[in-house]
Amino acid sequence: MKRFFSIVAWVVVAILGASALGAIAVHRGEPLNAIWFVIAALCCYLVAFRLYSAFVAAKVLTLDDTRATPAERHDDGRDFVPTNKWVLFGHHFAAIAGPGPLVGPTLAAQFGYLPGTLWLIAGAALGGCVQDFVILFCSIRRDGKSLGQMAREEVSKRGGFIAQLAVLAIMVILLAVIALVVVNALKSSPWATFTLAMTIPIALLLGMYLRFLRPGRVLEASIMGVGLVVFVVVAGQWVADSPYWSHVFTLSGLALTAAIIIYGFSASALPVWLLLAPRDYLSAFIKAGAVFSLAAGILLVRPQVLMPPLTRFVDGTGPVFAGKIFPFCFITIACGAVSGFHSLISSGTTPKMILRESHARLIGYGAMLLESFVGVMAMVAACAMTPGIYFAINSPPSIVGATADAGAATISSWGYPLQAQTMTNLAHAVGEITLWNRAGGAPSLAVGMAQIFSNTIGGPRLLSIWYHFAIMFEALFILTVLDAGTRVGRFMVQELGGRIWAPFGRRGWMPGILLSSAVIVAMWGYFLYQGVIDPLGGINSLWPLFGIGNQLLAAVALVVATTILLKMGRLRWIWVTLVPMAWLVIVTMTASYQKIFDPNPRIGFLAGANALVAQIAAGSVPAAKLAETRRLIFNQRLDAAVTAIFASMVLVLVVEAIVQWYSILIRRRESVLHESPYIATRWAKDFSGAGHDVVVGDAIGDD
Amino acid sequence: MRKATRRTKRFLRRFWRGLREWCGDAAYESYLRSKGGRASSCRALSPAEFYVEQLNRRYSRPNRCC
Repeated sequence: MKRFFSIVAWVVVAILGASALGAIAVHRGEPLNAIWFVIAALCCYLVAFRLYSAFVAAKVLTLDDTRATPAERHDDGRDFVPTNKWVLFGHHFAAIAGPGPLVGPTLAAQFGYLPGTLWLIAGAALGGCVQDFVILFCSIRRDGKSLGQMAREEVSKRGGFIAQLAVLAIMVILLAVIALVVVNALKSSPWATFTLAMTIPIALLLGMYLRFLRPGRVLEASIMGVGLVVFVVVAGQWVADSPYWSHVFTLSGLALTAAIIIYGFSASALPVWLLLAPRDYLSAFIKAGAVFSLAAGILLVRPQVLMPPLTRFVDGTGPVFAGKIFPFCFITIACGAVSGFHSLISSGTTPKMILRESHARLIGYGAMLLESFVGVMAMVAACAMTPGIYFAINSPPSIVGATADAGAATISSWGYPLQAQTMTNLAHAVGEITLWNRAGGAPSLAVGMAQIFSNTIGGPRLLSIWYHFAIMFEALFILTVLDAGTRVGRFMVQELGGRIWAPFGRRGWMPGILLSSAVIVAMWGYFLYQGVIDPLGGINSLWPLFGIGNQLLAAVALVVATTILLKMGRLRWIWVTLVPMAWLVIVTMTASYQKIFDPNPRIGFLAGANALVAQIAAGSVPAAKLAETRRLIFNQRLDAAVTAIFASMVLVLVVEAIVQWYSILIRRRESVLHESPYIATRWAKDFSGAGHDVVVGDAIGDD
Repeated sequence: MRKATRRTKRFLRRFWRGLREWCGDAAYESYLRSKGGRASSCRALSPAEFYVEQLNRRYSRPNRCC
């Protein structure tokens, strides 16, 4: 009987999800309520988790709870720590949830709400979650080995090296593009700049407290830190109102670029306890709070989605970024649906802390579903504002025009009515000088979030506070990714440099630390500078580059996963990873080809460079702009080269893997699986990991 | 009523413990309880030493995503 009711309940959930998806897909005319998005996403996630992830767990991976995990075998209280599955779920989610699922869907909203929403849900359920889950499982079975190590052992030595190199290259582009998002969010905004600048002394204060006064007391320090951060968000208004301080904190794009580069270098070279770690604690708490508040706000306010399901820009002429819906919608959404970067977390900290193999389903698959839900909420927040305002905020002046009147006229001519005064009023309401041409996704998302939050608490009076809270939240955790990424990049540079000159590889050697920090910061700093001086706003070239890199890394992870499944003898279920891998390879190769060779100068890097060369040859570039134009030509060619390198690396890995699959299938090569040997668990089935102050072998419950 | 209070208390206790584990507040206690921490052959680290060592290890590999 219980089973009957369970089946009925799941059928109801499935029908509800299908109806909500149908409503989103076929609805035309009147604005749609955001609650449909929430219902569609939640029901699809529930069905995917209940059925598809269970199928992958039982049939494809055959998870085995009698097998001791690395956390049990190597329990050292440092890296290998048996952890309760819900705590580890929180850890894993905090690690994988970055700015990507917020910014990507916001940018992809230029195609309308439909394509992005469908890809966020379907891509996560069938691709992103599967990747995270399978890689986590593979790493658990290999003592928590990294993706690069697994690629080296299971695919080929060259595969491992390619994976390592791809991670470094993608990290450089990632750090540049997220820094660009921060620059665009803080440009000419004294309130936001002051608030973010103040988080540095707050983090230093917390760092001292945690190091010398109360070592390791993260919770109490974070609560104090969050209180101080909320205070500086409010205090930012006084700074913006003061003529002197407002002038001090009003910075240009180039000044902010220099500040962020100096910050990145300092965070990488300074002791980790001083700046990086306390900022990360602050960011984790504020991120969790903001994401759950956004979800609650959408449920309470139930805003109308004003963006049409499909805009005219599906043809590739979009002002936010150029390129057709295929492949650029998928490239732009990136992390909200599939993220290659997650495979680094799934083969990093998490597999060393997992208690049982069956927990991988909730942690690997479930956490990615939650990340996709964050992406859906960002899509709702972006689409809940008037389309005219969305395009005004996200379009560069070279597309819509340099003045407010010209911009309003251009956007209205696209069929999205907008008055210049509307933008002036909105900027005034959120406490900004202007909201025109604030490309990057962060300001438009902040406006969307602020409208939802202010409709929940405070009304229009608190719109400016909520806006700056949202900007601070986005910038804070983007900088957390930036400083943590710079530090990891520094280690990668040191490791590579150490192969040439051994002392350079020593982690504690100060000249090595300073030099490697400078190298990694110079690498992403150059791309950031390139984005800031780009007349198309930088996002147009850098975000697709980041998306291509990220999705290519996902393809690498799925190549490794497919190879392992084949070696495990799961040929029958190989499509589980093979289909998303093939899709990602097709999408990213198409996007790479178009970004390099498309004849449209806004899409193709080479065409963009050639157009500028032609302008110089025709004498239409003023002498004063000649040097800048030559730099732009170099940048376009550099971007083309970087895209070609990304694509070539993955093609080499895919070809190597296909050769190996063929050899295994025709039994020319013996299929050697590099799993750790089976050791039976000594923990009882109901062991939960929390507070395990027991001799191994005891059976204890949660309490 | 008493049952409900007991359940609420138990839930809050679990939540508090989970929160402390999630944010790293309980990391040192976990370390002392672990096999590695209990090993008699080497001296257990002090809270300050453990805190710095743990951070250096955690931030030397990708731990924050895009």
